[in-house]
Amino acid sequence: MPIAEPLDPARARRIAVVRLHVNGQAYAVAAPTHWTLLELLRYQLGLVGSKQGCDKGDCGACTVLLDGLPTLSCITLALSAEGRHVETVEGLGVGGEPHPLQRQFAERGAAQCGFCTPGMLMSSAHYLDELGRAASPVVRQQDIAAALGGNLCRCTGYTKIFEAVQAAADETCDRARALADGPGGAA
Amino acid sequence: MLRLPVFDVAAPDKLTDALRSLADSQAGARPLGGGTDLLPNVKLGQTRMAMALLLRGVGELRGIERRGDNLWLGAGNTLAQVAQDEQVRDALPALAHAASRVASPQIRNMATLGGNLCLDTRCRYINQSEFWRQALGGCLKSHGSECHVVPGGQGCVAALSSDTAPALIAYDATVEIASWRDEGVQTREVPLAELYDSDGTRHVRLESTELLVGVRAPVPGLNVRVGHRKWAVRKSIDFPLISVALRLELDGALAAGGKLVVGVLGPRPRVLDLKAFAGRALAPDFARDLGQLAFDRCRPLPNVPYDAEYRRERLPVEVRRLALSLFGDQAAQS
Amino acid sequence: MNGPISGDKTAAQLHRLAVDEVATDTVAILGGRHGKHDALDLMTGAAGYTDDISLPRMLHCKILRSPHAHARVLAVDTSRAEALDGVHAVLVGAELPIPYGVIPWTPDENALALHKVRYVGDPVAAVAAESEDLANEACRRIDVRYEVLPALIEPEDALARTDVKIHEDNKHGNVTKRVQLAFGDVEAALAGAELVIEGHYRFHGSTHAPIEPHCAVAVVDGKGLLTVWSATQVPHYLQRELAKVLELPMRQIRVIQPAVGGAFGGKSEPFALEFCAARLAQKTGRPVKCLYTREEVFLAHRGRHPFDMRYRTGFAADGRILAVDSRALLDGGAYSSFGLVTTYYSGQLLAAPYVFGSYRFDSTRVYTNKPACGPKRGHGSVQPRFALEVQLDKASRALGIDPIELRRRNFMGEHATTVNGFHVGSNGFLLCLDAVERASGWRDKWGKLRPGRGIGVAGSCYISGTNYCIYPTDLPQSAVQMALDRSGRVRVFAGTSDIGQGSTTMLATIAAHELGVELDDVRVVAADSDLCPVDLGAYSSRITLMAGNACLQAARTLGERIRGIVADVWGIAADQVVLARRRASEAGNPERWMPIQEAFLLAEGKLGLLGATGSYNTPKTGVHGDYRGGTIGASPAYSFTAHVAEVQVDEETGEVEVVQVWCAHDCGKAISPVLVEGQIEGSVYMGAAEAVMELHEVMGSGLRSDGRKRDPGPGRDGLLAASSLLDYRMPTSLDVPQLSALIVEAPDARGPYGAKEAGEGPLHSAIPAIANAVFDAVGVRVDHLPITPAKVLRALRERPDRC
Ligand SMILES: Cc1cc2nc3c(=O)[nH]c(=O)nc-3n(C[C@H](O)[C@H](O)[C@H](O)COP(=O)(O)OP(=O)(O)OC[C@H]3O[C@@H](n4cnc5c(N)ncnc54)[C@H](O)[C@@H]3O)c2cc1C
Ligand code: SF4
Ligand code: FES
Ligand code: FES
Repeated sequence: MPIAEPLDPARARRIAVVRLHVNGQAYAVAAPTHWTLLELLRYQLGLVGSKQGCDKGDCGACTVLLDGLPTLSCITLALSAEGRHVETVEGLGVGGEPHPLQRQFAERGAAQCGFCTPGMLMSSAHYLDELGRAASPVVRQQDIAAALGGNLCRCTGYTKIFEAVQAAADETCDRARALADGPGGAA
Repeated sequence: MLRLPVFDVAAPDKLTDALRSLADSQAGARPLGGGTDLLPNVKLGQTRMAMALLLRGVGELRGIERRGDNLWLGAGNTLAQVAQDEQVRDALPALAHAASRVASPQIRNMATLGGNLCLDTRCRYINQSEFWRQALGGCLKSHGSECHVVPGGQGCVAALSSDTAPALIAYDATVEIASWRDEGVQTREVPLAELYDSDGTRHVRLESTELLVGVRAPVPGLNVRVGHRKWAVRKSIDFPLISVALRLELDGALAAGGKLVVGVLGPRPRVLDLKAFAGRALAPDFARDLGQLAFDRCRPLPNVPYDAEYRRERLPVEVRRLALSLFGDQAAQS
Repeated sequence: MNGPISGDKTAAQLHRLAVDEVATDTVAILGGRHGKHDALDLMTGAAGYTDDISLPRMLHCKILRSPHAHARVLAVDTSRAEALDGVHAVLVGAELPIPYGVIPWTPDENALALHKVRYVGDPVAAVAAESEDLANEACRRIDVRYEVLPALIEPEDALARTDVKIHEDNKHGNVTKRVQLAFGDVEAALAGAELVIEGHYRFHGSTHAPIEPHCAVAVVDGKGLLTVWSATQVPHYLQRELAKVLELPMRQIRVIQPAVGGAFGGKSEPFALEFCAARLAQKTGRPVKCLYTREEVFLAHRGRHPFDMRYRTGFAADGRILAVDSRALLDGGAYSSFGLVTTYYSGQLLAAPYVFGSYRFDSTRVYTNKPACGPKRGHGSVQPRFALEVQLDKASRALGIDPIELRRRNFMGEHATTVNGFHVGSNGFLLCLDAVERASGWRDKWGKLRPGRGIGVAGSCYISGTNYCIYPTDLPQSAVQMALDRSGRVRVFAGTSDIGQGSTTMLATIAAHELGVELDDVRVVAADSDLCPVDLGAYSSRITLMAGNACLQAARTLGERIRGIVADVWGIAADQVVLARRRASEAGNPERWMPIQEAFLLAEGKLGLLGATGSYNTPKTGVHGDYRGGTIGASPAYSFTAHVAEVQVDEETGEVEVVQVWCAHDCGKAISPVLVEGQIEGSVYMGAAEAVMELHEVMGSGLRSDGRKRDPGPGRDGLLAASSLLDYRMPTSLDVPQLSALIVEAPDARGPYGAKEAGEGPLHSAIPAIANAVFDAVGVRVDHLPITPAKVLRALRERPDRC
């Protein structure tokens, strides 16, 4: 969608420059003031990983992390992201290596059509972040289900998604424990 | 894609600037907290605005603090913050519960307390696309001349579907309202229950220049118990089909009074006084009578998209269960 | 001969396959617990879906839709829209006058209304503009004059009102199809039965609601070649219908199906958006995208048909089914869609896994002024299965026979023929029953759980593709081209549509297993009509059996060539060469091996470029009976399923919580068990949702959720009650029961390695199992779906012990 939309004389377009960080990269992007963050990501920055399933907050396919918190980009104004940090599914893996969640989702069949997956992964990533910060992390199925409560999946019945998040969460806990018991901790 | 219409955006970082913008915009500006109610409604063409006033940056709307016997919550706190805040969980657990049951995790991260209290009313004939509403021929709340919920009715009876409003009313909360007038900030404070009007097209009694700044709730003493309960078909995402809060004031082991606040009926929560129950023991029959009271005095309408008759049947059960959960061990013993 | 692959393998051959597997001392590829072949693309945003496509100079298309459920279109004035700056073309019905329909016998739809609109949302005009905003604005400026006609919302009204015809040229009033078939003397059998159960069942409408909305992009190149990318599950049928409606030769059309974000039958026929985008691309000479809003997805619908069913079932004292007599009224909505087939399926797919002493069905599908119904997962057979399996449960109570035992007693056996003449090959139904009985702890639970808690069972059967193509043809139903290249890689070209179910993985697994490479060494190029041979599409659970066989044939041809060349070099017999783990090696002598790449090079050096094709056509004898309609519903192989559901019913609120569902499914052979489990879990989830939660309802229609007739009221007829993912309540992660998928393998000689279907069968009996569990829990039956709290409460109030 071109930024410079043809001018309807009756309704002058208002364009603003949004400065934000996306997946660690700073951008200054021109966007019409009535654009959503999802539109900015998909059509301006070409980050099409974030999906649109309902466009009004009902499905979670557009979930991104905004300053670390799962957020529905389809009902967030692009301008609301001014000065903030956005993480999308494109930024999950590090240095070409898949994130543990991506690996677990892939191996365990947690994505069928994959359309809910980017949003699912972002909500899951936040769950792992929280878990990693907990003093004594415990992985509970009901916490996982609650963390994913805003992401609809029509294919999987959620079963394999729960399994994949659980496996990645167990890895997180193991890492946390290993750190705690590591050379420094043991000494 | 469902597109937003064109509008301006302002992002003040001071309350005065925000209030000035509102005052200057000649009713064209809409405060935007999380936008989780406003933006879907604007996308559906149900609400129009010339300017979105982003409240996120306004520091005066943030914070949760103890002020004497009250807990003060800025209108700009997100529902996730309200639900997780230790002070809220301690002092106003029913509010924390209500906040934690709103919508979905993402929405609770975005949505603000102020927005939840100023939430637009909901109805199956209005929360639809422009195309749908045109095919319907509109209604009092859009471009039409009749109400489909109450045929022949004179006013819109769309439902206030806020989960935190019943809980906060049960805590006797008041809201702090500010506006820019005569080159200065004017403030007023009203009981939350009085914020709402019975006209579903204009159910929040705020001038277009006014902002909700914060909520003040007296921290209940040991002789007061407050609880909240919500029912919706799904355990996440859904708006409430029943949202009730109960305040129970005790005299020793017996009830002394309190109130039952029932949401999702019409444009304002129904507040039922419980003085008549003074002296009752916290026993199952009292809980049942509270349910009966709700049944007798409240009539859920076919405004929100679910079978109204069933909601009516279910309401007393939810009230009774809420009461029993507040009675705690006492009910089990008797 | 049955076709390129004769299908019927001997037991010895199947055994050899098993031995092959053991011989490869590694994690098996075939039957191994791998994920999806393309999984990581789904994890990173790299999998391109149709809306991810953005082309230079692309225009955006929006469709203007009818606000009336039934009306004549008197005039469409587009001049105000065309005058808008940035609007490049406006399209009206007269420009696409040729009707289409996925079933060639019932073309009753136009891309844009010609003279009439038949449901709220029927497309009337389309616009191509620089932006979506402009296209929307242009739609607002199209002036349409309608003459409103009476709307028929209830199927009963559609039958009764002979004065109102939804399709003027339809021969039988508003009846789109009626099928009456009888096998044996049902009346006599009922008269002689020990027990006759009569039931009236209602199955409500539900919709697929894939998370990806429909989307199409079209572009015309300098030579006039039209390319259409579409979120479709039937690219081949789309190509055919585009050719017909646009009056272009097939060779001028290229259809590409990118990654599809779920379909479930909801994208299995052409829709207005594809025709409009294509014609607008022709008119403007620019690429055009049309993306449906979520509401438009609900309007496109083609979801589960609401059924009103009356069943009489006769039983012998020992529980044997002597007679099944069914009458069904199907609410078809405004267009035929697959309706002709649905009407047959509503009876034809019921006659297994049980022996019916005699059988008769009479199904009538009518037009109504609502979004058209079509095939949703378990097309046409989920509704009658619900009725039958509840009938069986009622009989088991009346006869005092455990319901699992009752089902066992009626088992038809393997290699048997149903009362309506379908030949069933392998049949693992008893294994399925055993599996769910054991896993659920049935014997300790049935009839023994505390009040409010209950457990129920049901069984079912489904097809692995239909024996006949939708249009008459003798050509193969699936074909694969396979090429080996010098890097040691296998390329598979197939017309198959991966809509999430995993057909790409299935093809890669077969190719890798046969040619001794790893899964990652296989590239699958799929669903591009320029690059791939024809496959009929992802519907009726046909791809694994059909494309799988075609793939197997091509891979075996290449495998034999390579083994032959390597054997020559080593001076051993060709069948002593094993291809596995990126190696060619000698059987029983692991010391002697060469990298598979070297084997490929050797073979290419000797034989020239290594390519092969495989085709699959269905067997044409020994499949079905010889009567009119006897071919519809016949399949090369049948899958079988048993479900046990455990529920908790809150007697005060009437709410049913589905706590756990065990589903055992006989898929013949699980080529990729993780994916088969995923299909089972997804199916059960969807079935459970239909049983207690989801409702695609049109205002003015049917019964309200509380069973009372609703009051249509002015202006509301035909409006969707739920047109968003908020109001159409599909289960969230917090609403889903615990799902236990149990794979059962009764290999069928006609399937690749014995494989049958897994994508639709496991939905069916979930619903009656839940209904039967509700009865076990609280002793009441809710025969009108969905089982809402209001209906349960009402039934509880009428429960005899309450009076
Ligand atoms: C899928 C979905 C499910 C939902 N489920 C629930 C639910 O279960 N329970 C529930 O209660 N809500 C629900 N909501 C509605 C909404 O998300 C919440 O009510 C939320 O709290 C609104 O807050 P907000 O900050 O996003 O409001 P906004 O959308 O920003 O604002 C809502 C209204 O309040 C006004 N407003 C906002 N802040 C102020 C202020 N400080 N002063 C004056 N006016 C102000 C705005 O102008 C607007 O009119 C749901 C929404 C969606 C999309
Ligand atoms: S209550 Fe009546 S007037 Fe109000 S939104 Fe609903 S139909 Fe319209
Ligand atoms: S697309 Fe944002 S919630 Fe559905
Ligand atoms: S994998 Fe298809 S929607 Fe979740």
